[in-house]
Amino acid sequence: MITFTMNGAALQVERGSTLLEAAQFYGFPIPTLCHMEGLSPYGACRLCVVEIDAKTRSRLVSSCTYPVQEGLVVRTASVRVVRTRRMILELLLASCPQSKTIQDLAAAYDVRHQRFRQEYEDCILCGRCVRVCEQQMMAKAIGFRGRGENRGIGTPFDVQSDTCRLCGACMYVCPACELRCSYAEPEKAICGGCANLSPQCVNVDKFDDIMCYMNPCVACEIVQR
Amino acid sequence: MPRLRTTSELEALRRRIRGRLKRRGSGIAICAGTACQASGANHVQRVIKRDLMERNLVERIGLRITGCQGFCEMGPFVVTEPDTVFYSKVGDGDVPRIIDAMISGTHVDDLLYQDPATGERSYRLEDIPFFAKQQRTLLGKNQHIDPIRLFHYLAEGGYESLAKALTAYTPEEIIDEIRRSGLRGRGGAGFPTAEKWEMTRRQGGGQKYVVCNADEGDPGAYMDRSILEGNPHSVIEGMAIGGLAIGATEGFVFVRHEYPLAIKHLLIALRLAREYGLLGENILGTGVDFDVNIVKSAGAFVCGEETALIKSIEGLVGEPSQRPPFPSERGISGKPTCINNVETWANVPIIIAGGAEEFARVGTSTSTGTKVFSVVGKIRNTGLVEVPMGTSIREIVYDIGGGPPHGGRIKAVQIGGPSGGCIPHWHFDLPIDYDSLTDAGAMMGSGGMIVMDDSTCVVDVAKYFMSFLKDESCGKCFTCRKGTQRMWEILDEISEGKGTLEHLDLLEELGQTVADSSMCGLGQSAANPVLSTLRHFRDEYQRHIVDKRCDAYVCASLTGAPCQAACPVGTEAWRYAALIARGDYGEAYRVIREANPFPSVCARVCDHRCEEHCRLGATGRDPLALRALKRFVTDRVDPSTYEPQRQFDPDAVGKPVAVVGAGPAGLAAAHGLSLKGYATTIFEAEDRPGGMLVSGIPAFRLPRDVLEKEINALIDDNITLRCGSVLGQDFTIESLLADGYDAVFLALGAHRCRRLGIDGEDCAGVYPSIEFLKAWNLRGESLAGGRVGVVGGGNSALDAARVALRQPGVNEVTVFYRRTRQEMPAFDEEIEGAIEEGVKLELLVSPVSLHVSEGRLTGVEFISNELGEVDASGRRQPVAKPGSKHRVPLDTLVVAIGEVAIDDATKDAVGIETRGGAVVVDKRTLATDRPGVFAGGDVATGPNTVIDAIAAGKRAAEVIDRYLRNQELRQPAEPRLPTAYVEPTEIQMGDQYEAPRVKVPTMSHSVRVHSYDEIESSLTQQEAVEEASRCLRCDLEFTRCSAKVDALRKTSGGRA
Repeated sequence: MITFTMNGAALQVERGSTLLEAAQFYGFPIPTLCHMEGLSPYGACRLCVVEIDAKTRSRLVSSCTYPVQEGLVVRTASVRVVRTRRMILELLLASCPQSKTIQDLAAAYDVRHQRFRQEYEDCILCGRCVRVCEQQMMAKAIGFRGRGENRGIGTPFDVQSDTCRLCGACMYVCPACELRCSYAEPEKAICGGCANLSPQCVNVDKFDDIMCYMNPCVACEIVQR
Repeated sequence: MPRLRTTSELEALRRRIRGRLKRRGSGIAICAGTACQASGANHVQRVIKRDLMERNLVERIGLRITGCQGFCEMGPFVVTEPDTVFYSKVGDGDVPRIIDAMISGTHVDDLLYQDPATGERSYRLEDIPFFAKQQRTLLGKNQHIDPIRLFHYLAEGGYESLAKALTAYTPEEIIDEIRRSGLRGRGGAGFPTAEKWEMTRRQGGGQKYVVCNADEGDPGAYMDRSILEGNPHSVIEGMAIGGLAIGATEGFVFVRHEYPLAIKHLLIALRLAREYGLLGENILGTGVDFDVNIVKSAGAFVCGEETALIKSIEGLVGEPSQRPPFPSERGISGKPTCINNVETWANVPIIIAGGAEEFARVGTSTSTGTKVFSVVGKIRNTGLVEVPMGTSIREIVYDIGGGPPHGGRIKAVQIGGPSGGCIPHWHFDLPIDYDSLTDAGAMMGSGGMIVMDDSTCVVDVAKYFMSFLKDESCGKCFTCRKGTQRMWEILDEISEGKGTLEHLDLLEELGQTVADSSMCGLGQSAANPVLSTLRHFRDEYQRHIVDKRCDAYVCASLTGAPCQAACPVGTEAWRYAALIARGDYGEAYRVIREANPFPSVCARVCDHRCEEHCRLGATGRDPLALRALKRFVTDRVDPSTYEPQRQFDPDAVGKPVAVVGAGPAGLAAAHGLSLKGYATTIFEAEDRPGGMLVSGIPAFRLPRDVLEKEINALIDDNITLRCGSVLGQDFTIESLLADGYDAVFLALGAHRCRRLGIDGEDCAGVYPSIEFLKAWNLRGESLAGGRVGVVGGGNSALDAARVALRQPGVNEVTVFYRRTRQEMPAFDEEIEGAIEEGVKLELLVSPVSLHVSEGRLTGVEFISNELGEVDASGRRQPVAKPGSKHRVPLDTLVVAIGEVAIDDATKDAVGIETRGGAVVVDKRTLATDRPGVFAGGDVATGPNTVIDAIAAGKRAAEVIDRYLRNQELRQPAEPRLPTAYVEPTEIQMGDQYEAPRVKVPTMSHSVRVHSYDEIESSLTQQEAVEEASRCLRCDLEFTRCSAKVDALRKTSGGRA
């Protein structure tokens, strides 16, 4: 067992645990998009950053990849951590505003606006699909290609892979595809959806016939809070 | 040659080689690094070889083709031995002369290095400041080594350290030696090398690897390449010693495939080392095995990061992974791996050979040894520079680098490439070591040093690096991928003029997040260029955002045509040039006159910033002669025939405004106000209008009839001119406001000369320059006589000298200036004109005392100066040389060391806030601390140019108009972009590029010394059209599109 300090509490975990596992075990909430049980740690979304006190000065590390070390001092919700997570969420909203998962996280961190040029992308490149395909479905049908802003997920030359069994696991694990809202898209809005209509859709008879599959609609709660 | 089986065999071989090289005696070393090859070294090298063979000199003179020696600016260059004569920029025709000189024991003088400042020639390599001020422990060896020959390296003591490490040291002792030397990683982060080795060594038995990281990808950095190209064996030897220390038997060199020469030399070196038993199994018979392989990197920048590098060597996609585990625990194929930079490895043999203490003696206590920097950008001596750690940036940039190339001012240095930071010139005393740089927000990086001067835009630099990083980010982690992309987006918006001040805060917030939360070093350091430029040059960002100006004329959307952007009154210089090329002179005049109420004046005495920033000049040719073209146009039109557009506002008509001073600023303001309908009264102290134009500038530069015509054309019914009324004597600001003037514009100019502050200044024969010039220009009095001296280096000094030369009874005129001609603030053409006429320049002297006899000046005691440190103005300070006082007999001394607008005597009369002899105004609105009182021109800026005064006058008219309408004085700025489309004339392809800049016809200097007539004359029609056709037409980039849309509208009936 390894003894370490998390948020001021002296705790013990088994050797080889990551900080995220330890935090989850002891009930400290850490948001994450790219981490999934059963898949290898990847460290791509950076939402799970925590502050650790290394020898000289504290720094942020991704908790999903960082192994617990003897005597480590960890803070999972320090000012610096929360500030960083809020900026990451703002970036996520700027790129992928339709994802309910991202909207929920943004709401939890009280991020209501984003200040960048609005994009509407479908993918945050968390890599869950690639890893589930390789590590759980043993198919390796999809992978990353390109670099930097041109990075994307797909197959070489866009030819369908022979090993793909159309199992759908990739879609099942996707945090961005999950419950994607597809409403009107005014700029600089959180989801671009019903919440930004004024008055809000839920309060107006005119919109009665709209079938909202986002039930309960968290987007509205964000504004009402 | 058989394998070397013992260390004594190695030593025996070394002795034999040394003896053989010694017998030959003389030789030629030609630098054939990649940079010199690009400038033609390969050809020169072949010519030398042929020449030596033809003359049968091969036995007497050896030819050594070396790797990069560092002075890339001077390539191709050769060094002859044994006396190390350095010949720069050698062409193939020079080769026979060099060889002749070697045989006869002389020099080829014109090929020797010439100091650009002093013109002195240096014979030996060691005497050249570029080399003399370096400590070339690593690079110095390149001169003596042909990288494809093992023998040269052996003769230089090569593999001695390996033999020593194999026989005399245990692995622990090697690591200890490295630890005591204090060597830190040269790749950038500065991790202690010994600690890394120790960590790898501790990982127990089994397979381990050492890796040489030669994936050098920073823009502008090439020291690793030069070491690999020029001295590959030193890296191999270092790796072998490292392998021995940590217990690895295999090494990799991970090198960019863009470095073909480095790879070639490395492959040859590896083959030779194996053949001689210096690599491979059983090295030198000691039973130790070690071999090195090359892995060619595909060129992704991120593969220089160690975890990505390992993946790449393993054959996977080069993406970093989170550390821990560190490579020293789990690296290539999960085995402990020790990765060091090329320069680190090359330092290892030096430490083992010379001892740790010897190595640690160089540099600072925490950063030992030397470091190689590649100094590139806006610098005179581009090249590789090796200095001890702790050397200041100033020494590298000015003493070794030679300072800015074209008299610009160095603004900042970007250290460490895209991961590093920007160090502004006011921090140039910062010692370069790992810790100081980190504290300053930069990092050592691999040692790229990009020098920027005032023609570099920091927003553009930050944008460039961000564009590089967003492309080179692997994209695995979200903050690096999106963060760099978003930062680039914001910077792009700022450079397009669409930025907001909130963007700056967002940039900082985002940059902090990216630095904090990215996975690998690329992301963690990606924000450095943005954060450091924001920290030091926030005003430049704000200038882009608020004023919509790019002062370096780089950001296209804010600059438009640089000639127009550079002009303080926004004259569309490109447009009148285009119209002249088309022969439409009337329209050209209208274009000039619309922007500038003094076209004929500016055609003669403007400092033409339009030419300074002309793209023709920036692309290496002579800028367009815009002032001469303007002169050509204005000479054909009488100013009184021009009808300016009047915008009478019924509310404004008749409202009284007072303008104090009838110089260019006052007249321009009065004219502008008159066009808007205000009743303007100008109060002028002298008996005629014109201000400095008439009292300061002599008639041979600005003929009085031209000036009079122009002024008369400006004074219309709305303007009342009251000459002979002096502020403080005849009226005050209070009295003006009390007399019912709604607003007052102060344009007094700067007429009070600074004094030397030495005894006897009030004696006969010593005159302040303005008094001297006024006496001549206004009253026709000659004050000078006999031997005349002028102290100062500005335009009034040169004007005074040229006026004195034309006065009766003057024998000779000398200008005394305290710095060199380079630092003189006067316009070049004035200095040249004065010299042509016979004015002597005495540089680097300052007056210390006056010799006065019977109340008259008889001579001046001067002291000689030398140039010292660079001061706040970016020029080198004169420092007096002790014991260099000397007396110069003079009958007249004109003091022209600068003017102030307001001195203690006039301060009270003005009655508003002043600082440093000038009225304090808001730069954008010209408002003083008193409501309704505005000030502009020299009175607010100190002595300045005519065009700036006119611009201030124009602005004052606008601002006063807004003030009197109770509008907001500040208006949002708009970039001045070309709008009107002028059809380009057809030219023969190539003509425009061949044609040289037109020479303005001038009166011959023997005639003009005795004449008060104008010196310059107008271009002929043909000359003007030809000159105008040279224009590159930067405007078309902005107007061509809209012209197409207009044409489309016409054809489609307005529905496009």
